Amino acid sequence: MSHYEASIREPLINGNKSYHDITVDVAAPVEGKANKKWWIAFTIALVAFLYGIGCIAYTIGTGIGVWGLNNRVNWAWDITNFVWWVGIGHAGTLISAVLLLFRQKWRMGINRSAEAMTIFAVFQAGLFPIIHMGRVWNAFYVLPLPNALGSLWVNFNSPLLWDVFAISTYLSVSLVFWYTGLLPDFAMLRDRAVRPFQKKIYSLLSFGWSGRLKDWQRFEEVSLVLAGLATPLVLSVHTIVSMDFATSVIPGWHSTIFPPYFVAGAIFSGFAMVQTLLIIMRKVSNLEAYITRVHIENMNKVILLTGGIVSVAYITEFFLAWYSGSSYEDYIYLSIGAATGPYWWAFWALIICNFIIPQSLWFKKLRTNYVWSFFISIVINIGMWFERFDIIVIGLSRGHLPSSWTMFSPTFVDVGIFIGTIGFFFVLFLLYARTFPVIAQAELKSILKSSGENYKKLRENNHE
Amino acid sequence: MASNKKYWRSVEELKSDSPIVESLMQKEFVEEIPNYEFLGDKENLSQSATTRRDFLKYVGFTTAAVTLASCEGPVVKSIPYVIKPDNIIPGVANYYASIISDGSDIANILVKVREGRPIKIEPNKMAENWGATSARVQASVLSLYDNNRLRGPLDNGEAIKWSDLDKKVIDTLESLKNTNEKIVILTGSTASPSTKKVIENFSQLYGNVSHVVYDALTESAALDAFETMYGLRALPTYKFEKASVIVSVGADFLGDWQGGQYSATYAKSRVPVNGKMSKHLQFESNLSLTGANADNRFPIKPSEQVYALINLYNAVTGNSLPSKETVADASIKKTADLLKQAGSKAVVVTGIQDINAQLIANSLNEFLKSEVYDITTPRFVKAGNDNDVANLVADMAAGKVGALFIYNSNPSYSLANAEAFNKALKKVKLSVNCTMSNDETALQSQLVATTPHYLESWGDAQFQAGEYSLMQPTIKQLFDTRQFEDSMLIWMGENKTYYQFIKDNWSDSILNGGSWNQALHDGIFASNTEIPLVKNEVDLSTSASALLAQTIPADFELNLYAKISLGDGKQANNPWLQELPDPITRTTWDNYMTISAADAVKLGLENWNVSDGALNGSVVTLKVNGVTLKNVPVLIQPGQANGSIGLAVGYGRTAGMQKEMMTGVNAFAFMHNFNNFQTVEIEKTASVHEFACVQLQHTIMGRDEIIKETILEDYINKPKEDWNKTHEFSLNHVDVPAERVDLWEKFDDTIGPHFNLSIDLATCTGCAACIVACHAENNVPVVGKHEIRVSRDMHWLRIDRYYTSDMTNEKAKEEDIFGTGEMFNTMTIPSENPQVAFQPVMCQHCNHAPCETVCPVAATSHGRQGQNHMAYNRCIGTRYCANNCPYKVRRFNWFRYPENNEFDFNMNNDLGRMVLNPDVVVRSRGVMEKCSMCLQKTQLSILTAKRESRPVEDEEFQTACSSACPTGAIVFGDVNDKESKVAHLIEDDRTYHLLAEIGTKPNVMYHLKVRNTEES
Repeated sequence: MSHYEASIREPLINGNKSYHDITVDVAAPVEGKANKKWWIAFTIALVAFLYGIGCIAYTIGTGIGVWGLNNRVNWAWDITNFVWWVGIGHAGTLISAVLLLFRQKWRMGINRSAEAMTIFAVFQAGLFPIIHMGRVWNAFYVLPLPNALGSLWVNFNSPLLWDVFAISTYLSVSLVFWYTGLLPDFAMLRDRAVRPFQKKIYSLLSFGWSGRLKDWQRFEEVSLVLAGLATPLVLSVHTIVSMDFATSVIPGWHSTIFPPYFVAGAIFSGFAMVQTLLIIMRKVSNLEAYITRVHIENMNKVILLTGGIVSVAYITEFFLAWYSGSSYEDYIYLSIGAATGPYWWAFWALIICNFIIPQSLWFKKLRTNYVWSFFISIVINIGMWFERFDIIVIGLSRGHLPSSWTMFSPTFVDVGIFIGTIGFFFVLFLLYARTFPVIAQAELKSILKSSGENYKKLRENNHE
Repeated sequence: MASNKKYWRSVEELKSDSPIVESLMQKEFVEEIPNYEFLGDKENLSQSATTRRDFLKYVGFTTAAVTLASCEGPVVKSIPYVIKPDNIIPGVANYYASIISDGSDIANILVKVREGRPIKIEPNKMAENWGATSARVQASVLSLYDNNRLRGPLDNGEAIKWSDLDKKVIDTLESLKNTNEKIVILTGSTASPSTKKVIENFSQLYGNVSHVVYDALTESAALDAFETMYGLRALPTYKFEKASVIVSVGADFLGDWQGGQYSATYAKSRVPVNGKMSKHLQFESNLSLTGANADNRFPIKPSEQVYALINLYNAVTGNSLPSKETVADASIKKTADLLKQAGSKAVVVTGIQDINAQLIANSLNEFLKSEVYDITTPRFVKAGNDNDVANLVADMAAGKVGALFIYNSNPSYSLANAEAFNKALKKVKLSVNCTMSNDETALQSQLVATTPHYLESWGDAQFQAGEYSLMQPTIKQLFDTRQFEDSMLIWMGENKTYYQFIKDNWSDSILNGGSWNQALHDGIFASNTEIPLVKNEVDLSTSASALLAQTIPADFELNLYAKISLGDGKQANNPWLQELPDPITRTTWDNYMTISAADAVKLGLENWNVSDGALNGSVVTLKVNGVTLKNVPVLIQPGQANGSIGLAVGYGRTAGMQKEMMTGVNAFAFMHNFNNFQTVEIEKTASVHEFACVQLQHTIMGRDEIIKETILEDYINKPKEDWNKTHEFSLNHVDVPAERVDLWEKFDDTIGPHFNLSIDLATCTGCAACIVACHAENNVPVVGKHEIRVSRDMHWLRIDRYYTSDMTNEKAKEEDIFGTGEMFNTMTIPSENPQVAFQPVMCQHCNHAPCETVCPVAATSHGRQGQNHMAYNRCIGTRYCANNCPYKVRRFNWFRYPENNEFDFNMNNDLGRMVLNPDVVVRSRGVMEKCSMCLQKTQLSILTAKRESRPVEDEEFQTACSSACPTGAIVFGDVNDKESKVAHLIEDDRTYHLLAEIGTKPNVMYHLKVRNTEES
């Protein structure tokens, strides 16, 4: 496996690492004790999560009326958060599946956590379409279940139904893909475990991985097949989410460029979220050797590319709204009306966060700077949230008939549920960081000799 | 329909004499159930041991049974008829002709009664002149089930028996018989000949009795003027259908002016027929509903209204009555020319509450020999006499009044000097209030003789000469109440019910040989009564001088007005009316000071929208003639004359009301000398008022195809394409009308009826009767002020109101700011004196409905008859349909509205729920709802016709809105019936579909508005 890698390329594993060092480094957070900072972070996340559950219970008990929605703006934070989380959930599969097919070795340092993030994000996303229903106890109506009511069937014309299928498929494939990758690493933890209980758990989780050649061969094959399966899903999920809007008749929603634009936006936001998490994790879990400047820079390049696509889409939307000459387009989320109207702040939040600030990544100095990268990743996350908010809320608040124009303002419940999902996400991620091998160490070992810093140096010295 | 199908139970039946068939027919069960063998053998039963399997079965069964038993099913208490009344068939509605006639709301109606409960008011189409039902008339059925009604008579607030009350009253009356102290009967206007006769008999019996008539919304000046000129206390009838020029100086004749009921005739002249329609000019201070419908509207201050009227008179007649200049003098000259040209086809009406102004207007109509102005069939619906009322208060204060009977009047609320009245009332030995609720006056009176609602009462009326009507009870009296007239008869010692009294009175003096039963059935009886009229000469120059002397211009002049929704406040406790958006301001649950934008800037008053879009406004303190009203919210009103402000009466009720309904301030406190024009001082305060306004954007934003309109000249002279252009799309490089472009294959909609609804914007006056009718018919919930404020109104039908803006697309292009933020922002600002357009919008029942495709569970689907259906049971409440509706007509149940203390309106008490229409389901929380095109009504018509084996008549198909529409602007019917009215309307040149270019193919069509103006 250890191909030759040009010496001009920067190493993907820094420091003087041996195979055993990698094992020890990756197992360390799992085997060690949680420190105070982890507990503080976990407590905050848990409290946020519980608050969110309280808000959800209040909503289900009382009615959707406890949110700030109204009869013109029937979706706002709920679907904004849904699309935002789904978007975030895009990076994992892209990194592990698409980059695997393209043989990008740098993915190995980050794919595990990116996938974990994907799955946790999709959990959050999946929550919103369910709780936003007025009668959530009848949510199973969206499943095409055989029933005794004659021809009572779901409506296959509805993009919302496509969502149900798209997201459940995506979640299951991502989950399987992620878990497959985890098997050898769980086995590693199992083999190192000292306490019997831990050993028991990890042997259960590792599905009896033996490390024989046959295991490895099957593992490689399954990974490839799953990568092939997952790749179209990367495109399909957000395409279908975008169709929630694109197939409608509402100005600002009814736009044919939404599918590619949404997919690019999703990757944009997903990578930003991966960036946010990794920059923290590499410090907290002492993984600086594995998540290097190269990783951060590569990620920033993808962000720059997808951000570029999104920016072009913005310009297209803005131009077409003006060029159409249709007065109904005067107030869509990217238009002069939006920029000067009552939602100007949301418009400019989007433009500044997603369009202007990411341009700084053209400079190598900035895109290889950890602090700037972290800052930008947060800004993009905010910007992408605003993008969805703008599309949904500005679009609905300025519909066809001016008589029905109104605005939306969130209540504490709207905010609470959003905070709750962030809490839930971090509860899951923090638990994951303490119990799962956060780096695909088995895979990483395969590039140690080609991309490891010490081996590269060794080779260079030999040449001389 | 009988079916010829026969179902075979087995092959054996083919054999004619099979014993098996025979025995099967005899026995209900094929095999006997071996009950006895099993249970009869006690010994065996007691000895049997329980096996393990049996034990598990028992455990399983009992667990399941106990679980099931613990889930308590809802208990529905219903009591069947032991003996079914002859005239009630459960599930079938009965209709009774009746009237509403309380001096404020006047109409011939049909009452729809289901299982003994009146649930809906319909217009009585047999009545030509008074058959229209206004929003308040439509809503009056809910006042019957008002939870705040009194349950029985009261003595100083304590319950009392009728016999004790009667004794008290009769004793006092007897003691007053030979004294100087007067007995006064104070009532609201009554048009009832029988009530008048009861009072007359009462007067004869007791002597020294006077009858004072008091209207909170007075027409005393017009009555005085008519009396002066023609010797009869009545009002002229205006036949607006004959008018070609209508000039109104401050008369809101589409509202409450002179008893109302002028919409229908007015609308007849407002559709261009053979190139002709009337021209309507309005001089007024507030933007009234009438002014909003005018072709030309001139905002002038109240004092200038007076001058304008005199100037108009001078200009038309060539006289020179003393007057002053106004800002609208040039327009008055032009108007005078129009009037002169139109001659007898012209009419001038005025709402100035001054006998002299009314005399001038009447004389002007006489001068024009106006055919519209009809004095031969005078109206008797208003009879209030302000002088009498003023004298009464003085007499009471002087201790001259021994007993006061009050009926259908609430002076403690509606008198400007209510405090003086209350004080004086204490000096009256006996005060008896005949009222339905413990209102402001009832609290001040000694005895309350509780009266029933008009739907529980007998009565009659003569609305105008030659037209008699009957009122009949449609439900047994809900509470221990007694009609005012019955009480009077008892206090007179008469041994006769009022019903008998009316019947006798009718056969004696009205029926003239006609059938009582027929009259009762029809609710209306025509008779040729000659009205003796004299013609007195009036000296207009003294009138004009007197008028001028009284009119004092001021910096700010107040023009009090009555709203479409609450009127004089009689029905202020009616949540349907409180939640009814004002047609002009579209604000609910409030009254407020209206002021022009320029004046608002001067005084530093503001309106602004907060983060959820809701409207906030400054608050002022108003001062009129020493009386102060605090906390008056300010609403900036386009079209309000500079220097004038408006304030609606009817609000600020505090007694006999539910807490939620105690909204607004009582503007009657300002009606000094019964005059609705007052000089006012405005003082800004620091507080902020939160409005509940259903429309927050007031202009059309350059989207002119939403409300299409044209001017009469273009309509006549130019081809249709010029003024009713349909959107065109390029299809195969050929431009075709948007309506012809279709993404889908057309499905067959020619079988059975295909329903369409047509709305004529030319005749829609925005009166809002349809909204309340829809509310009542479809069990639409009331959601309260806060929910309305946050745009969660539930009305299935709304009437959008648009103002014109000074900024248009064309103007922006000229100024080179087209498409800029500056253009958009100025476009949102209405003109100072805008043209107004109304557009009723309900579910458009699109044949390609955007809502239908997006529902994930197919809860909203298309019906064969063109309706877009809602299956409430299937709806899971994703609200995607509402988002994708371009018309924004879908309404979501954000909370549980019925039986919820948070929404303590009529659906939260047993009494209020009696108004619910049993044919329409009450929606639960979390489901979407919207207009169904009154599916329950069309289905009933189809099934009735089917049972009677006949085709459905065109007029049988009605929706609640179409049958309530007083002007006939809303027409409903089956377009597959080529003879139907609606099938013809679809071919009309003025027809267009709302947002047709989206391709929704709606089943609702609009007819564009034609304005009779020079320039568009």
